[in-house]
Formats: sequence, structure tokens, C-alpha cells
Amino acid sequence: MDDYRSRKTKQKFGVFWGNFGLPLIFIIMFAIFAISTPSFRSTYNFLNNLSFASYVGIAAIGMTFVIMTGNFDISIGSMLSLVAVLGSSFIPKITGVAGVVSTVLIACLLGFLNGIIVTKLRIPAFITTLGMLFVFRALAYIYTNNVPVYISDRFWLYIGNGKLFGVIPFPILLMGICYGVAYLLLRRSPVGRYIIAVGTNSRAAALSGINVDNIKILVFTLLGLFVGISSVINSANLGSANPGLMGQDFEFQVITAVVLGGTALSGGNGSLGGSFIAALIVTFLNNGMGLMQVNSYWQMVATGLVMIFAVSLNKLKFFLLGQGEF
Amino acid sequence: MKRQLKIFVITALCLALAITLSFIGCKKEEAAEGGMQVKTYTNAADITIGFSVWTMEFTFFQNLEKGVKDACADLGFKYVMIDQNSDATKMVQDMNALVGQKVSGMVVTPVDPGAIGPAVENARNNGIPVVCADIGKSGPVNALLISNNFKGGELAAEFLDSKIADKTKQLAVGNCLPQWTYARQRGEGFLSKAMELGYPVGANIIVQNPSAEGGYDTMQQILSAVPDVSGVFFVSGREAVGAAQAIQAAGKDIWTVGYNGDPEEFQAIKDGILDATILQEPYFIGYRSVEILKEILMDGKFYENVEVPVDVKLVTPENLDQIAADILEKTGNSAFPAQ
Repeated sequence: MDDYRSRKTKQKFGVFWGNFGLPLIFIIMFAIFAISTPSFRSTYNFLNNLSFASYVGIAAIGMTFVIMTGNFDISIGSMLSLVAVLGSSFIPKITGVAGVVSTVLIACLLGFLNGIIVTKLRIPAFITTLGMLFVFRALAYIYTNNVPVYISDRFWLYIGNGKLFGVIPFPILLMGICYGVAYLLLRRSPVGRYIIAVGTNSRAAALSGINVDNIKILVFTLLGLFVGISSVINSANLGSANPGLMGQDFEFQVITAVVLGGTALSGGNGSLGGSFIAALIVTFLNNGMGLMQVNSYWQMVATGLVMIFAVSLNKLKFFLLGQGEF
Repeated sequence: MKRQLKIFVITALCLALAITLSFIGCKKEEAAEGGMQVKTYTNAADITIGFSVWTMEFTFFQNLEKGVKDACADLGFKYVMIDQNSDATKMVQDMNALVGQKVSGMVVTPVDPGAIGPAVENARNNGIPVVCADIGKSGPVNALLISNNFKGGELAAEFLDSKIADKTKQLAVGNCLPQWTYARQRGEGFLSKAMELGYPVGANIIVQNPSAEGGYDTMQQILSAVPDVSGVFFVSGREAVGAAQAIQAAGKDIWTVGYNGDPEEFQAIKDGILDATILQEPYFIGYRSVEILKEILMDGKFYENVEVPVDVKLVTPENLDQIAADILEKTGNSAFPAQ
């Protein structure tokens, strides 16, 4: 009986930790920076960080879907750079609005291409996207001759720098919309259930009538869509699209946010909310340490340690739920 | 499901309307604002200078940062520094964070000069003057302090002429990427002076990978293109050291000049691998940037898009020790790599 009770208590704590562990880490981290650095707790700084978190946060939605199906994509940094230089170079001919739309569409197409190679040619996602990482970056260099494309279109710049009613940075709103739509797709539509089913056991999913290849192609295309949106935000923040400097280490930042957020690399299990909070943790941690004047090398050490700590706490959740060892 | 769809459509329409109104409002507001308003100070202790630096990984930027810091201490200003960690997105985020901290003036050494436009605009809209310390800029800033790169290139060509003294010999350039507009002037100055002196330039190759390895590779390309080259100029320091090593490995005797005055270059000159370099003065650039901000913030002086050229010097084995001693005295950092 006691054994049963203790298991129940453990499970309850596991559920609590699964739901609130990551937000709790974020709140504690936020409180430490807010107490130690007055400028950190200003509304301006909070909104600025939230706005910059969208760059990783939005792409993390797509990566969550891809990782949930048991795949991943390391070409997104190069994809971000390629679609930004392509889309922004079209602006003089087709206006900013059409430029933004074409950027997102090209990104979808590139994601679709990755999906086709992974599913139809049966090449593992790691190899496919590693190859595409070089192809996309090289195409960006070739297309621009390594000269950045400067962006002066007001609509494009508004997407990264505009403020709704002069207060809320537009990227925050865009991130909110993206997460809202992604939540509906994942939790309130059959497609979401198919994604989870494919990630949990693709053979069982196929036997139950789900077209596994189509679902995988869809998630790679969705990742392209979200990378396209991130690309427009990032290039608007920078006022230019630089083929060499844009998207450097972007894939690692995004994959870190998704894994930190509790999505299992083995697939099946994933959390959009977790990815969102993790993107906030990474962004606020960098900003807080910068404002505290922490040496940049120590910042790298601290970022690495916080990530290991957060992932180990995530393992604690599974242990408490009786789904693994700690 | 129908109810959810209805709510979704209504929310989407409301958001679209809000965004449109906000976008139109934003355009009107910017059109009305015009130029920047700078708050002037009478008390130096009320002034905080924010410095956003490319990276603290290299001695060049460490010396530049020391210049900014020393100037703030000498003038009685408070000082905040944020390291961009060679990341353009972090640079913009940091510059916006400095605006949030309400700094009085900002010094920026940008990792990507093409990417500072919106962040500088944001700072200036908030009444914060911005001075770019080296590298370059995009869009209007208050001032840009930049080495006289064209003259540096000319000095390199004159040095090679003094050593080769035979106008039939071929020269070559290891150039930098096209987006480094200001650094490209080094190559332009070199080519212009070489032409004036009557030397043929057999190769002008861009170092695609800005590093010692990149310099090594580019030098091998130059050796393939112009096997009888007598003198080369690399427009950046680490690349020049890499090129000098490639020359040594090929067993050739080619006069080599670098640019920057990095510790690796000083050591290479001392070791007889590199023949000369053009020295930039990062400490002075950093120090003078803060002095300019003082003129804007306390003396009410008007600076708008002013380019301030900073002098450069030729470093050869003959004056190497004297210049190294001067650098040590001024910055507290050795001109040579840490042992």
C-alpha cells in the first residue's frame, strides 16, 4: 500500500514537473537576473528579448514537428541564409509584400525537397540535411557573389522591427500566431495525431493506414515554412541579408531549444510549449549574462551547464513517471 | 469545430486590421520625426557609454576596448560593454539592450557593418548618438573612425618598391571579401600605387576564408597563377602570416606585407617569416570614439555621418621593437603573442 502511495506521489510530482519544471527554471533564472541587474527587469528589455527569441522560437516549432517524427534537419541555418538573400533580392521587382511571400514559399519548397529526399530516396535525414547545409550555403554565396543584399523596404523591415500600436514588437505577435496555429494543428487536428503516431511507431502507423512518407514530407515542408518566417524576421532585424553570416549555428540553437523543451530525439514525444520556454531561456540567459558583464567565455560555459541541467531535470520527469531510469 | 473556426477567423481578421493600422501609423510617425535629438549633459558622472564589440577574442579588439574603457575613466563616464561574440543577430540584440539601459552614447565595432542599420536607427530615434569604431557602417551614424586604409595600401606598395626596385617584377594581392567596403580600400590603395610606380600586378585574389588557413590557400593559388611573383600584399594580418608560411613551405623568396599589426604578425616579422605590416591603432580609435561622444554630449558639437580617418604606420624589422614598446606602454598589452 505504502509502495503504491509513494509511486502515486512520485507520478504526481512527475506530472507537475513535466508541466511546470521548465517554466519554473525560466522564472528562477529571470528572478536572479532581475534582482542582480536593474536594467534587465525593464519592460523594454523584456520585450526586446521576447522579440529576439522569436527568431529561434518560430523555427523551433517546425523542428519540434520534425523531431517528433524521429528525424531532424541540420540544413536550416543555410536555408535561412539562402531564402533571405533570394527573397530580399526580389524586392525591387516585386515589392516587399510579394518578397516576403516568396521567401516563405521558397523555404517551403526547400523543406519539401529535403522531405522528398529523405522519404523517396531513403537517405537518412542527417546525411540529407548535412549535404543540403553545404548546397544551400553555397547557392547563397553563388547567387550574391558573397555581397550582402541591403533591405530598405518598409514592409519587410516592419516585420522584424515594427511595433504594434508602438508598444508590442511585431515578431512577438507573429510568434504568438505561429504557436497558436501550430497548437491547433498538433493537438486539434488529425494531422497532429498522425505526426505523433509516426514518431511513436512508424510501422504501426503505416499498418493503421497513415501515409508515413507524406507525413514526413509535410513536417519538413512545415519546418521550411517556419524557417522562412524566421528568415524574414532576422533579415529585417539586421537590415540586410548576408549570405555568409546569416544563420551561423542557427540549427544548433533551434535543436537545443527543442531538446531542452522536452522533445525526445527518438520521436513521438514532444512539446510546443516546452520549445517556446526553452527558446526564451536561451535568449534571456544570453542577454542577462551580457548585461551582468559576464566574460563571453564564461557565458558559453554557463549556457552549456544550464542546458545539461535542464535536460537532466527533464529525465527526472520520466523517472518519476516510471518511464525511464535516472 | 465550427465554433473554433469562427473564433479563429474573427481573431485573424482583428489581428490583420490591428497590424495594418499599426503599419500605417508607424510610417506616418517616422516621416514626422526627421533628424535626431541629442540630450546634452553638464555633469560627466551622468553619462554612460555603451560599447558593443565584435569579439574579445583578438588583441586588436582587446586594445580597442581598452581605449574606450580608458577614455571613459579619464573623462569620468560610466561604462558598459557587451561582446557580440562574432554574431550579427546578437550584435543587434545587444545594441537594442543598450538602448533599453538608457545609455547616453554608444560605440560600436560591428561584426557585420551591413547589419547595424535598424539598430543604429533605433538608438538614434531614442536620442542616443552612435559612433562606429572601425570596420564600417551602413546608413547614417554620427561618426565613423576608420584607419586610412587607402594610405595603408600605398605604404605597402612603396615598401615593396623599396625592396624589389625592379619594375619588371610581378606583384600580387590577397584581397578581402567585397562586403568589407572599407578594408577593400587597402587593396585599392596598393593597386593604385603599384600602377603609379609601374609594377604589373599578376593576381588579385580574394581570401574566401578569412583566417591563416585562408591566407595559406590563397597564397598557393597566387603561386600557381604567378609563379615568378616577387612581392605580395595581404590586406589582413592573420591571412598574411598564413601566406608567409605558404611561401616558406614552397621554398620561395617573396617579399610579403600584411595589414593590422596583429601579435602573430609581430612575431612573424621577428622570426623573419613576414617582411612588414601596416599597423592600425585600435587603442587610439577606441579612445577617440569616446572623445567624439563627449564633444556631442557635453559640448553640443554637431556630428552627422562624419568619417574620421586614423593614421597608419609601416612596421618593419628595423622599427619593430620600438613600436612594440610604444604599444606596451600605451595599452598594457604586449604586441607579441602571449607565451
